[in-house]
Amino acid sequence: MSTVDTSKNLTPSAASKLRRTAWYQTERFSRLWAMIALGVLLALVTGEQGNTRDIFFSIEDTFTGPNLWVCLGLTVGVWALREFAATPIKGAVTKAKESAGSAVSGGPVGTLRERLRTDKRVKLGGIALLLILVLVIPSGLERTWQTVLVDQIAIFALLAIGLNVVIGWAGLLDLGFFAFFAVGAYSTAYWTGRLPIEPPVVLNNFWVIPVAVITCLICGLLLGAPTLRLRGDYLAIVTLGFHEIIYLVAKNADGITGGPQGARLIPDFSIDFAGFEYKWSIKPLPYWYLLVFFIVLVIILFSRLEHSRVGRAWTAIREDEIAAAANGVNTVQFKLMAFAIGASTSGVAGVIFTSKYGYINPEVFPLLQSILILAYVIFGGMGSIPGVLIGTAILVWLPEALKDWVDPSDRYMYLGALLVIMMIYRPQGVWPSRRRQRELKMAEEGIGDADAMSEPAGGKF
Amino acid sequence: MLNKTIIKMAIPLAVGALALTGCGSDSGSGDGAVKIAFQGPLSGDNVALGENMQNGVKLAIDQANAKGDLDFKLEYVAGDDQGLPDKATAAAQKIIDDESVVAVVGPAFSGPTNTSSPLYAESGLVTVSPSATNPLLTDKENGFTSFLRGVPNDNMQGAGMATYYAKKLQAKKVYLIDDKTDYGVGLATVAEKGLKDAGVEVVKKSVPQKTPDYSATAKDVVNSKADALIYAGYYQDAAPFAKKLKDAGYKGAAISGDGTNDMKFVELAGDSSENWFLTCPCTDATVEAGTKKFAEDYQKEFGRAPGTYSAEAYDIANMIIAEVKKSGADVEREALRDALAKASYKGLTKTFSFGENGEFNGTDVYLYQVKGGKIGYQGNINELAG
Amino acid sequence: MSLQEFWDYLVLGVMLGSLYAVIAIGYTLVYGVLQLINFAHSEVFMLGAYGSLIVLQLVSPGDNPSALASIGFVALAMAGSALFGGVTAYGLEKVAYRPLRRRGAPRLIFLITAIGASFFLYNLAGKLFGRDPLPLPEMYDNHTVFSLFGAGVNITQMLQFATAVVMMVALDLLVTRTKLGKGIRAVAQDAEVAGLMGVDIDKVISRTFIIGGVLGGVAGFLFANLNQVSYTMGFIPGITAFAAAVVGGIGNIRGAMFGGILIGIVETMTVPLLGDEWRSVSAMVVLILVLMFRPMGILGERVGRAA
Repeated sequence: MSTVDTSKNLTPSAASKLRRTAWYQTERFSRLWAMIALGVLLALVTGEQGNTRDIFFSIEDTFTGPNLWVCLGLTVGVWALREFAATPIKGAVTKAKESAGSAVSGGPVGTLRERLRTDKRVKLGGIALLLILVLVIPSGLERTWQTVLVDQIAIFALLAIGLNVVIGWAGLLDLGFFAFFAVGAYSTAYWTGRLPIEPPVVLNNFWVIPVAVITCLICGLLLGAPTLRLRGDYLAIVTLGFHEIIYLVAKNADGITGGPQGARLIPDFSIDFAGFEYKWSIKPLPYWYLLVFFIVLVIILFSRLEHSRVGRAWTAIREDEIAAAANGVNTVQFKLMAFAIGASTSGVAGVIFTSKYGYINPEVFPLLQSILILAYVIFGGMGSIPGVLIGTAILVWLPEALKDWVDPSDRYMYLGALLVIMMIYRPQGVWPSRRRQRELKMAEEGIGDADAMSEPAGGKF
Repeated sequence: MLNKTIIKMAIPLAVGALALTGCGSDSGSGDGAVKIAFQGPLSGDNVALGENMQNGVKLAIDQANAKGDLDFKLEYVAGDDQGLPDKATAAAQKIIDDESVVAVVGPAFSGPTNTSSPLYAESGLVTVSPSATNPLLTDKENGFTSFLRGVPNDNMQGAGMATYYAKKLQAKKVYLIDDKTDYGVGLATVAEKGLKDAGVEVVKKSVPQKTPDYSATAKDVVNSKADALIYAGYYQDAAPFAKKLKDAGYKGAAISGDGTNDMKFVELAGDSSENWFLTCPCTDATVEAGTKKFAEDYQKEFGRAPGTYSAEAYDIANMIIAEVKKSGADVEREALRDALAKASYKGLTKTFSFGENGEFNGTDVYLYQVKGGKIGYQGNINELAG
Repeated sequence: MSLQEFWDYLVLGVMLGSLYAVIAIGYTLVYGVLQLINFAHSEVFMLGAYGSLIVLQLVSPGDNPSALASIGFVALAMAGSALFGGVTAYGLEKVAYRPLRRRGAPRLIFLITAIGASFFLYNLAGKLFGRDPLPLPEMYDNHTVFSLFGAGVNITQMLQFATAVVMMVALDLLVTRTKLGKGIRAVAQDAEVAGLMGVDIDKVISRTFIIGGVLGGVAGFLFANLNQVSYTMGFIPGITAFAAAVVGGIGNIRGAMFGGILIGIVETMTVPLLGDEWRSVSAMVVLILVLMFRPMGILGERVGRAA
């Protein structure tokens, strides 16, 4: 391969002519065009719903209606502010920041944050307080939001914590994470005797959990062992393929999984131990306490792991796999371990989900879910447990809340736009882990590449 | 840097604006209004079907309000479950929490019905589904005490198709395709049983929805030398399949159910839909004056023709409205549920009444055929088969 | 399966595969220069289909167009889809990817941005154009033209295959013979060095996206002609084509062509052997098997080495 020939014999005057730019070519005006384009897009996004009878209806409506002018006015206004009033605004903002900052950074919040990090007792107290709040607040919510909290946010939080181990700590790009959730869910249906095939014994849901964990571990190992030597993107597509296979088997193997009609009448959790009897029902709160118990348990287990030898090995693999291997880390073993641990967490979430809903069909496990859960983790800040919890909470809550604000069919459009904007302006996530933040910063400055997956796209330039 | 500042300022502004629009739409709800909800897919992959039904319900409510013989105001509430079982609980709970909702049209799909019906049963809020056809939904074990099925289950149509092929067309070998949806599989299972009982050879295949290329399947149909075909699925997929069948040179008979009995099937498939048989538990939808008026009003209101299940949703909404009118605006949820379960209502599409566990009281299945770009009425399928 | 049936399905498989190949090239080109899985490429494909639909609705071919008119309509529809695809891909690069590239963001961030952009685009298309599927107006009378090993080939299939082949040959020439192609290969091999050597990286990347977008858009038109237009049409062919690109060796243009055709054949052969519902499963099994034995795909990686 030869280098590209770009040397042209230009005379100085020709070159300077080329260098001269007309007024409309200046950056300022290209920014104006961009803002106008944004305005038009905004008008289209907020415009009328189109219909198939006349596919031009929505576009026509937008271009003839007043909405377009409002949107254009807004974006061009922002442009004008930015171009012509940048200095005064900046000044005002810095001033406001300074006056606020003196209260914040040096003030009680800053010290509190510092105390939280350093003083163990304060930290524990904070966590205890948070836990009490988490247990108390939901009982005061409307039942709709209790349902959202339990059926979606909490289940996905458990999943996100699991995926965080795989992707945030070990740095393995897993696009098929939700498949293990399906495995957990179908294990539940099987062991409670609700699939077309009979289990050897019918188990109580609590006993299904260890069984599902083992099943998912085995599945994780079976998938991981041959594929974990693949690097980043290949692993992604293989896991994606694995998810697709699990989904289609659930859908097509009617005789085993019930096919599209799914499995129904799956019993709820129940305890019958030494005279103490309790049965969970469709009421959300009891399940909330159960889920909080599992989430806390998993968080405790995983944060012990993070700071152990295993966690350090994962970090080493994530940051530089070759160097880690050269230093005697058994990379395959640790990668498999991360994969399997993530898978089993996913499986537990699947068991709880299935017991709560009492019904599953393959449409609960589409490929999209694996992709969404990845977005939750990155959005929150991968590698940090509070981050992924917050990310999941926001992104699961948002579509539900948008139901009241916009046409429900447009909800995921706004979600997509939010993801893009967030990644452009805050790629580290809502609450990034400190280590991750540093890695990203280093990558941005080009000092070192953070890890296999965080290598800047297109090399460094 | 300034860019970031602008974004930071813009986000609360945008959220505020969104919240304001939210408030705007909420403040319209006056006290004492009676609300009828719809639960179905209003986002995700099956929006088209959900919108059809939503519009039917909306139209019924608007017309009832416009008539002016109600001493209360009716309002519509949307419950979007995306057609997914896991999203249905939150959608259902949201409807239940709104105390002025007295009845629900829906849930549209069988999966969501399975997960949301326990919640409805607990609250006593009645749901009448225009389209959930899985026969198991009315199984007593479920305990779905608030569920009424406003549509004959899959058994009727599947059996009708089988009878017609076996007796009238004297088919020797039938190629039977389901689309791997709850609806399609249910229909195909019944049809297969009916055909086999009549001694007809059956080749049963599944072609999932949204298959990118139907050419290979069409080839397989031709190669199987079957002289008749049953497609158990929706028009979105029946249409491209019909095209490929024509390209592959298939000459035999073809039949599909009410999921395909829609003018959009003819529009999408063009000439290829010619001579397709379509079944429907509904009587002729184009002749009667009432139906015609419905189609016109619908077109005027939403700028498009009514689609699959629009008329059914409209009928069910009207049935609910009639029942609420009888018992007054302050009717209790449980009382309305019991009243509806016993009621009988003659709608545009069929007469609605419910039997045990909310199962639809059987009606006949009617046969249609696409002729010259129109869906023409043929008659009662059992009478035709003789 | 008789021999004749085998040929029938093989021909169908190659036809479908050529379509997958064209989409796969879009993934592979972008991967080549950015090492990025462009998840939003399936939406480029979908919008291309809408582009051709819009053009055809504007010119509205009548009931029985003459042969010449038919060619004109096909050309117009193709131009419309290419325009839509190209503009979408260009816009994507400019709005969603360039700001990230500027700050050297990790690839994972690109992935999430791509997912977000994909969500945004397909829901926007659903909103603008309605959410029911639409047929592409008939541009010609579809009938069998000739037979290949006894398997009839009709106009739609011929159009599909011929367009795919022409585009692939043109692309191959473009990448191996032209200056832009040299630039693409240079950026793919080492962007940093290419930049030092005076390649305008921004321009090369932007044009790579446009080329991928044009191919994707035209593929969208061909696909709509085979099936129909809907706002969710991108997802399944997108995933399949991506798998095809990986099977062939992602970043490798010839690999994408090869992988596309292979996956097309595998999918089509599944229909008579196992049944339609297993076609994606067999494609994914092939993918996993290939990657287990050849971790870089059948023909290996990199655009640079395709030449």
